[in-house]
Amino acid sequence: MAEGKAILYDASRCSACKGCQVACKCWNLLPSPMEKNTQAWNGSMQCPPDLDHRTRLIITFDEADNGKKYGINWAFGRRACMHCTDAACVMACPSGCLYHDEETGMVSFDRDKCIGCKYCVSACPFDVPRHIGGNGLFDAGAKINKCTGCIDRIKNGRSPACVTTCQPGALQFGDWEEMLAVAKERVEVLKAKGFESAQVYGEEQVGGTHVLHVLKYPLEQYELPENPQVSPLIGAMNWMKPILGVGAIALVGGLGLSFLTGVGYKRPEMRYDEANHDIINVETGEVVRHIDKEAGER
Amino acid sequence: MTGHYCDFKNADVILTSGSNNLENHPVSSKWVQRALDAGATWIVVDPRFTRTAAHADIYCPIRSGTDIAFYGGMINYIIENDLWQHEYVEHYTNATFIMEDGYEFDPETGLFSGWDESTGTYDKHTWHYAIEEETEWDTSEGGSYAWVTEEGVPEFTPPKVQVAKKDPKMQDPMCVWQLMKKHYSRYTIETVCEICGMDAETLEQVYAAYAATGAPEKSGTILYALGQTQHTYGTNNTRIMTLVQLLLGNAGIAGGGLNALRGEPNVQGATDMAMLVFDFPGYLRWPNVSESPSLRAWCESQTYYGGYYTNKPKFMVSALKEWFGDNATVKNDYCYDLLPKVPANGGDYTTMGTFHLMDSGTMKGYFAWGQNPVVSDPNSAFNRRAMSKLEWLVVADWVETATAAFWRAPDMKPEDIQTEVYFLPAALIYEKSGTIANSGRWLQWRYKAADPVGEARPDYEIADMLWSKIVELYEAEGGPSAESITNVKWDYYIDGKIDPRAVSWAFNGYNVAGTDFASGKVDLLTGFPQLKADGTTSCAIWIYGGYYNNSDAPLDPAEQPVGRRGHDDPGELGLFPQWAFSWPANRRIIYNRASADANGKPWNPNRVLVEWDGKEWATRNDVPDFVFQTTNADGTTTPVPPNDNAFFMKPEQHANFISYGLADAALPEHYEPFETPMKENLLNARLNSPCVKFGDHESVKKGDVETYPIVATTYSITEHWQTGAQTRMCPALNEVAPKQFIELSPQLAEEKGIANGDDVRVFNNRGSVVLKALVTKRIVPLEVNGETIHEVGMIHHWDWTNMYSSDDNVVNDLTPNVGDPNSFIPEFKAFLVDIEKA
Repeated sequence: MAEGKAILYDASRCSACKGCQVACKCWNLLPSPMEKNTQAWNGSMQCPPDLDHRTRLIITFDEADNGKKYGINWAFGRRACMHCTDAACVMACPSGCLYHDEETGMVSFDRDKCIGCKYCVSACPFDVPRHIGGNGLFDAGAKINKCTGCIDRIKNGRSPACVTTCQPGALQFGDWEEMLAVAKERVEVLKAKGFESAQVYGEEQVGGTHVLHVLKYPLEQYELPENPQVSPLIGAMNWMKPILGVGAIALVGGLGLSFLTGVGYKRPEMRYDEANHDIINVETGEVVRHIDKEAGER
Repeated sequence: MTGHYCDFKNADVILTSGSNNLENHPVSSKWVQRALDAGATWIVVDPRFTRTAAHADIYCPIRSGTDIAFYGGMINYIIENDLWQHEYVEHYTNATFIMEDGYEFDPETGLFSGWDESTGTYDKHTWHYAIEEETEWDTSEGGSYAWVTEEGVPEFTPPKVQVAKKDPKMQDPMCVWQLMKKHYSRYTIETVCEICGMDAETLEQVYAAYAATGAPEKSGTILYALGQTQHTYGTNNTRIMTLVQLLLGNAGIAGGGLNALRGEPNVQGATDMAMLVFDFPGYLRWPNVSESPSLRAWCESQTYYGGYYTNKPKFMVSALKEWFGDNATVKNDYCYDLLPKVPANGGDYTTMGTFHLMDSGTMKGYFAWGQNPVVSDPNSAFNRRAMSKLEWLVVADWVETATAAFWRAPDMKPEDIQTEVYFLPAALIYEKSGTIANSGRWLQWRYKAADPVGEARPDYEIADMLWSKIVELYEAEGGPSAESITNVKWDYYIDGKIDPRAVSWAFNGYNVAGTDFASGKVDLLTGFPQLKADGTTSCAIWIYGGYYNNSDAPLDPAEQPVGRRGHDDPGELGLFPQWAFSWPANRRIIYNRASADANGKPWNPNRVLVEWDGKEWATRNDVPDFVFQTTNADGTTTPVPPNDNAFFMKPEQHANFISYGLADAALPEHYEPFETPMKENLLNARLNSPCVKFGDHESVKKGDVETYPIVATTYSITEHWQTGAQTRMCPALNEVAPKQFIELSPQLAEEKGIANGDDVRVFNNRGSVVLKALVTKRIVPLEVNGETIHEVGMIHHWDWTNMYSSDDNVVNDLTPNVGDPNSFIPEFKAFLVDIEKA
């Protein structure tokens, strides 16, 4: 059972206007493509089609037959960080970048501490974390990007930006238990209306998530795993952390994740050139990032 | 709207038709959800399964352009199954009234009585009631209309009070009830399904669910928008929904009404201000050459014999005092003659007509102020070509619109265009203060949040600069109609700057004697009941009376009704009378007398707007929209017991089933869209409405079903706004909706060899565009009159301009520039195309 706060997403109230996507971008100063006419058409209302390095939240669309002559079961879903109680990303993070906010339970991050290892990517059962840079686009040091739960807003007595903008009340924010009660009550209403597959998602999964979903249609219409799990190896890394320290965890975790994902993990060695404020790849000699101190960069 | 957004929560049944309210009016979702939480049923009728339909309890498809058949069938169903609200209909509507001899609708011709083929118009004298007797206004001293003879009131002959013949039992074959019953008896379930394309089972399910609100305590609301209005019979689409609401007793009650969801944040305000050719501010009639060439003629032709519009001379004289100030006196008819008169061919000056005038070289200059007609108006390629014949064009807008850049459209040759284009950068809504009117008629004050960027100015500052220069030139050089310009009162300055607060004094109205704008001293009226026709009051728009009436703080909108922020909610119906100001007179639900029975008892004790307790209208949760008391000479009031005059904005004070108000039908009748897949009209012998506007203009190039077999419609998506000129400037919005698309069914896609995501060419006689395919099961082919009819839908938010997202294809190149004879609105929502894989 989780505690603290929760965002409740009620798919049965969502009008899929994507106002939350835009509000997220605006509040968190996340850019959108500026190059003229570069965005492709993907044949769907789901735009962008998935989370990306500058998109922390998307509304998903899925069309299924309803067995009737007219209409369909059109499922609107929400894809973003689930803010797990048993957060694999926090467990896997060797640098202390990802952390649980004790008061709310939200999983936030300290960008400055991100070392770009991307363990969190491999660890997350929801395939949520994305990285700015280091992904071939900017060819710079990767830094994690994902929903922070608008922890900055919450700490100042406000709801997350996505919640504030939601007109139909599909998004709510409050105490975890209260949100769960609202969700359960809603599911009963939906079942009474004939939506037999209606369910709460997030109460039990990975220790309880701080984003609770009310799903109107069967689970397969939402981009959510049926049984999200934290890998036992990541769990092991987590209890080793306080004993062995960050560096060792990085080593073990690196090996472990290489095994888990089947992809050889190699983190390039970097060196910092203090004179020119450049971060340089030791092996290739390439300047992967220039830190503009005058512009306030760190 | 007759109600307002919050009132949706009170409905037992919500019917959305001709609107995609969740997508295009997102705030509506909040109140619809509350109704659903309270157990309401939601019906969505739409050609495609929208994001709105996804939430409906019942979804029913419909072929675009067949709403009158759909609602006509509902009327027939309600009458046949005796589901109408008897007491309401018998007391508050004109069902009992007897029509003039000769009134007729003939299905064999598809025409009402009075048709004149040579002029293409109706002589509507048979569309009036048979009159039992005529009486005179009592204008004697102490009489109800004593004001007519007071000093300063312009001379006019008051109208004769007409008392119509009635049959309270509604059996007379010429009574409105019997005529209506007969009229819609042709609209059987089978015929409606043949026309509209849904199956009978679904249609009956919809009819039964909605007709259940005919129970006196039940309320049903209809939400509509441009899907109903943008047809060659759009006004009748709106009217037939009114008929349904009256039959079921749903007008004037909490959770009822007919609710037009307005799009542009201030489009309601623009309509109030008379943006249409034939309107004068406050829904009065602009003077025209035929019926109102003089003030006397205006008063005599416009003043109703009964009801509240007996006061029209007070509204007009007070308005003239505001237009012309001290120059307006009773001796010069309050300068009425200085107002320009709408000519006999006034329709030629409506939006579509102006492009004909440009094309013919008649109109040489054009202001496009906050509109983008070369993208948003029908047959927009024709509009672009017509615009190239202008000598000058002024565009005032936030960004460089396609209209400002029409000369570099992909189909234009800039070197051949001599039009001089002036661009005036306008301030954003956040960069200026003033009032804004929402769909629910609420006037709210909006404060400036930031200064305009660069040289941008608020519209009123641009207008003031223009006006001042024009007056200066007229005063120096004279010119045609110079007096109309130089006599105008224009003193809306505070501290030397044009200011919307001073404009608000003019809108609210004031006593002329105690007011001097220059010194900032104003004696504001409490409301429009104080208006007079003798020149002692001034008011630019009577319906706004009372919205800015605190003379103690004329410079502080927060101290005015328009700036109120109170949360009181008497009756817990979401009326919030202390929040802002709802015109007229802060009424939240108009026609609210009809919320109670003939004895003044509310139909539903949990939804009380007004209630008569046997002695007075003791409960008034809303401001009564009827005469609930009279004021005596000594200032005391006398309660007026319940009577049947529930619709006091009509001369007979009863709501109209049959009406002479519209140009094209006394009762809404189904006609096919101008371009239709049907060979015949299954309900009468006339395929198209006889009164379609501009159908014979050479630019229209009507298409037929053999060449263009696919029905097309157009619409907006929530992610973009209209032509996208503003929203495509926001990269975050382009990211959530990057391209314009055409939605089509998998069946049609297969037939045409089109895969999802493909480029599709859509074409007809007017144009050809290439759009992205969105193949979806949300669109189904419909069985219409034994044939399979395919429909496609297109969004229209792109053009060749914009620094982030542009598209050389303009969807409105395809839409026909034909329109409704009442509103002159174009038929964007139903026309013919063909498609192929590009």
